[in-house]
Amino acid sequence: MLSMKNISKVYQTEKVQTHALRDFNLNVDEGEFIAVTGPSGSGKTTFLNIAGMLEPFTGGDFMLDDVNVGTLSDNQRADLRNQKIGFIFQGFNLIPDLNLYENIEVPLRYRGIKSAERKRRIEECLEKVGLASRAKHLPQQLSGGQQQRVAIARALAGKPRFLLADEPTGNLDSLMARQVMELLEEINREGSTIIMVTHDSELARRAPRNIQVVDGQLADFTLYQNKAMDEIAAKAGQPAIEA
Amino acid sequence: MLEIKPVFNALLRSKAGAVMLLIQIALTTAIVSNAAFIINDRIDYLSQETGYPEDEIFSFTVKSFDPNLDLSQKFEETETMLRNIPGVENAGLFNASPLSGSGSATGLSLAPASERGPDVRAAYYQADENALNILGISVSQGRNFRADEVIVSQTRGVFPLVVIVTRTLAKELFPKGDALGQTVYFGSDPLKIVGIVELMKGPWLQDSKPDNVAIIPFVSASTFQHIIVRTQTKQRAAIMRQIEDLMLEDHSKRVIIGLNAMDVKKAEYNASDTLMLRMLMVLIIVLLLVTALGIFGLTVFNINKRTKQIGTRRALGARKSAIINYFLVENAMICSVGVTIGSIGAFFLGRVLLQHYSIPALDNMYILSTALFVIAISLLSVLMPANKAANISPSIATRSI
Amino acid sequence: MFLHYIDLSWRSMKRTPLVSMLMILAIAVGIGVTMTSLSVYHMMSMDPIPHKSDKLFSVQLNTTDDGNNWWTEDDVPLQLTYKDAMALHNADTPESKTASVRALFTVHMNNQEVKPFLASTRIIGHDFFTMFELAFLYGGAWTSEQEAAATPVVVIDEETNDRLFGGENSVGKQIYLDDTAFRIVGVTKQWRIHTKYYDLNNGAFNSPESIFMPITLIAPLEIQNMGNTNGWKYEEINTFQERLQSELFWLQFWVELNTAEELQNYRDYIQAYLVEQGTKSRFERKIPQFNLKDVNEWMQYNKVVSADNKVLVGLSFLFLAVCLANILGLLLGKFLRRAPEVGVRRALGASKRQIFIQHLVEVSMLGLLGGVIGIGIAQLGLWGVRFTSNEYASLATMDIKMLLAAPAIAISACILAGIYPAWLVCRTQPAIYLKTQ
Repeated sequence: MLSMKNISKVYQTEKVQTHALRDFNLNVDEGEFIAVTGPSGSGKTTFLNIAGMLEPFTGGDFMLDDVNVGTLSDNQRADLRNQKIGFIFQGFNLIPDLNLYENIEVPLRYRGIKSAERKRRIEECLEKVGLASRAKHLPQQLSGGQQQRVAIARALAGKPRFLLADEPTGNLDSLMARQVMELLEEINREGSTIIMVTHDSELARRAPRNIQVVDGQLADFTLYQNKAMDEIAAKAGQPAIEA
Repeated sequence: MLEIKPVFNALLRSKAGAVMLLIQIALTTAIVSNAAFIINDRIDYLSQETGYPEDEIFSFTVKSFDPNLDLSQKFEETETMLRNIPGVENAGLFNASPLSGSGSATGLSLAPASERGPDVRAAYYQADENALNILGISVSQGRNFRADEVIVSQTRGVFPLVVIVTRTLAKELFPKGDALGQTVYFGSDPLKIVGIVELMKGPWLQDSKPDNVAIIPFVSASTFQHIIVRTQTKQRAAIMRQIEDLMLEDHSKRVIIGLNAMDVKKAEYNASDTLMLRMLMVLIIVLLLVTALGIFGLTVFNINKRTKQIGTRRALGARKSAIINYFLVENAMICSVGVTIGSIGAFFLGRVLLQHYSIPALDNMYILSTALFVIAISLLSVLMPANKAANISPSIATRSI
Repeated sequence: MFLHYIDLSWRSMKRTPLVSMLMILAIAVGIGVTMTSLSVYHMMSMDPIPHKSDKLFSVQLNTTDDGNNWWTEDDVPLQLTYKDAMALHNADTPESKTASVRALFTVHMNNQEVKPFLASTRIIGHDFFTMFELAFLYGGAWTSEQEAAATPVVVIDEETNDRLFGGENSVGKQIYLDDTAFRIVGVTKQWRIHTKYYDLNNGAFNSPESIFMPITLIAPLEIQNMGNTNGWKYEEINTFQERLQSELFWLQFWVELNTAEELQNYRDYIQAYLVEQGTKSRFERKIPQFNLKDVNEWMQYNKVVSADNKVLVGLSFLFLAVCLANILGLLLGKFLRRAPEVGVRRALGASKRQIFIQHLVEVSMLGLLGGVIGIGIAQLGLWGVRFTSNEYASLATMDIKMLLAAPAIAISACILAGIYPAWLVCRTQPAIYLKTQ
């Protein structure tokens, strides 16, 4: 359902060209839970931004549910984002002027869902993240873990097919991080596809599929292992296996 | 997809900035509507029809100091000299110069002074049968003076028997409209109305009755004598330049002062109104500019403060137009409350000006159009920063600061 | 510490140049507009003779019938008749008093060298010079004997003396006014007043007259006044003598009363005079009515500062209020965005007071800059005023008071606008901003 072929992303600053991603290939199937790891500056976030259509890419093909993302207008991308993708950010990104209810309502309004339906969904989502009693609170009145749960509720409210999580536990202590992770796993079990960027290897290991971004290129965990074996094999003087 | 309620809630929670904007808009509305009204009032006043071809006429004053001179005879020669200047249409002696701010007025009544009837105040010009021609005015009813009706005298021992009045004065004296042929009294002297002119302003435009004017066919050449000259428009400036020399050539024991074109004299008389008009215009323009810049600055500020929020909204699926709308709606809400309060303020400010400073009653249309104008300016000021906001990349949302 | 605050303010301004410029511009424009109208107002309403304005009184007598309307607020005519003015002028009390009226004369030297010109002339008693504090360059006022004998003498001003005699001492020399020869007894120093407070009838801001002549010459020379002449009832007037005996109002009258007692005595005197005149059946008035108004009261009564000017000053201050609201809004944004930095400062030991003062110093600097630029804008505005109206030429200037007032108003206005944002900021709880980024 998500496929990236030879995706590249070049940042052009005044004189220097930086290749954030190159020849990036990835296929994601319905219902997967993928953890993306990699060192800082490797291109994890760029990948996530492109996957979430937050940034245009420089070259390659990106298909999302048989839609060629590269050909879409800004508005079409915004709509697609709104309908199919839910975001969870490291910094939560709740809107400080809006209370929890209104925060969750934001993507639903952009989709043009009727007020009654919005109410039903928001309450359902708040219930799911265990904050139903706090609907009228402002974000700053909550702890970090609670705020992230609201952000998850906001991501879920639109019933997205994809959930993109950018270091969702980065600002949380380990207890809260575990709770958030459990919530994500539960959501995955209910059918949502999740791509989660993290640098926490312990969290990553809990995901069924791990991929690593190194120097703007994808190293699927299995592939990475194969490569490592290739190297071992090469050192042993054996021919490399075609990947 | 206008999100009024959440915008409103968000506003309530960051109220101080909004309140300042609101106060600014309210004050602007109140000030601009009143100032615009006063401006329009002054423009009406300054551009009113006076009845005269102002660009053809000039006037000056002759002060004579030759004790042995027969003034009447000398001025008759002077008039002839003036009329013979090429480009001059007509010229003659007057007791006062129209629109100049100095002249004479009297009470005309329907009964002689001894009976003390009620009178109607009117400015009057004294001149000969050329008066209307010199002033470029024609009789609309009745007739002009005949030469034999003009009294030339140094004293008031003999007074004319006829008068020409303006329509306004005729109506005030004879409300039934049958003024022509009737008699009015200048003190104890009876004057028969032989002609009526439609429009001819008196010396004082600011007078409460600037249209009450009479012409009396009486010439009393004095040592301090006004002369009015009508020329061909294009020749006026050239003739004015040589007039002093010609007048002194005509007779040396005199001084020429106050040589001025009629429109210039009128402008001098109205200088304080022109000044008020200009100052208010500058005030309005600068005020609107400051308000627009204020709205612009505050929006830029809000947008900078909310960059992350805007990126997040975009990430959550907001179209660019939705972001622009957000700021427009926010501004429109503050603005409409602001102009509402401002309109009430304008109304009361207008009442204060009316009561204490004799400014006419504020027309509510001015409040309404100012309010609409302020809203338009306000939305325009938001549009540019809002556009900038819409171009904030949604990828901001994933940046960690 | 203060210098440090100034340094911090300067850095803060540089950090947000657009917003700082907007704020300075707003205050500058506000001050510019306000100072333009305020300067004109200030010059118009300024006491023209501060140390004496409460001792000089303009006299008004109501010698009209009961029920007669006048355009003054109390229906009392502004000027006096000749017979009343001269009666008061020739009375024994008080010591200093003068009738006063304006005329226009052709000045010439009865030769070909000097081209005749018109001179505005003030016709007065000799007390006028001391009462209104005219200084003499040469000679002095005419004597009371000369005045009583209606001697043809004049005092000319410096400008006229320069024009006719090249600035030399002209006392004793002769000039011609119309067809009469006059001997010069004094030359006054140029009289610099912007409000012609002793005669407000024909333009309160016209220049003073350039020639002064004894009042007693009116009758023998049959001098026609130049100014307002108003009647209230019909009179047959054919000769100059009839005019002098008429009920026409055409002279002003001033007295100098130095104590409350003198004032009261003079009130009693006028009261008695009016009662006596009333018995001559000149007018029908049950209760004698008169006014003694000192210089400032007289200027107010004559509406020297026009309603337009007051409206403009009022609107300008409202305008300043708009600028303040504008600045307040921007300051709120600017200061609150700085809350994290303030949090750090607070954590490092800055007291609330220090934070508060730091921010007030910053707004004061904005005010100072705005005020200085505002003076420039006001000068531009005043130039525009002078350009539009000759009458205001001498009024549309800023004196030292106004020049100092501009930054003072700007700074106080900015501090006023800055107090709330500064207070909000200094209330910052350091902990909140240190926890999250």
